[in-house]
Amino acid sequence: MGCGCTFTGVVPDMADSSITNTIRKLRFEHDEMTQQALAERIGVTRQTVNAIELGKYSPSLEVAFRIAAVFGRPLDQVFQYQPDRTAS
Amino acid sequence: MSFREKSDWCSFLSLCVFGLFFVRLAHDLLHGTPGAHNYFLLFFGLVGLVVVIQVVSHVALAVWSPKDAQTPVDEREQLIHLRAAHVSYYVLLLGAFLVVGCMHLGFSTWQMAQCILLVLWLAELLRYGLRLYFHRCGA
Repeated sequence: MGCGCTFTGVVPDMADSSITNTIRKLRFEHDEMTQQALAERIGVTRQTVNAIELGKYSPSLEVAFRIAAVFGRPLDQVFQYQPDRTAS
Repeated sequence: MSFREKSDWCSFLSLCVFGLFFVRLAHDLLHGTPGAHNYFLLFFGLVGLVVVIQVVSHVALAVWSPKDAQTPVDEREQLIHLRAAHVSYYVLLLGAFLVVGCMHLGFSTWQMAQCILLVLWLAELLRYGLRLYFHRCGA
């Protein structure tokens, strides 16, 4: 769960994925929205939101768009593709 | 822990209970007394026990957290189920071929039936074990 502590916007332990996201930062900016609240709005479980945040699971395009819509941001501001992350 | 993961734990543990059947079978085979017990009763007794454990545990889970129980399976959970079924299918396939091989080793019909049961049990155990593993891994 979100702890309200400092963060850089990019999940630190996503070394196994080339896709990063700023969901935790965006949740914080949206009145510290909980993972459960976000999960209910996009129709997945809280565990799935947590897995997405940690980069352990890459969501489908539909769920990615739903997340972006909840925060009112374009998709590329929520998810970023960084191919170098897997190469390193 | 999600409702689905708790449900998988219940299924996995209840399947482990059914392993008592094979423990008894292996014990009798090793001590040279196969058929010393009434396997028919043991089998259906354990199947009944597994069903009771499954029903009671799932009802308890649903009563404990009704909101979680009503949550539909999402895409990540579907993926977990598919990945686990995919791997266990190959175990089942391999087991099926091994059982056919047993036929050529002179196994009796009764022994073949136990082998088939063992393969089915192992494949199911693996399926639920992998589901739990993937739930813990994230996907």
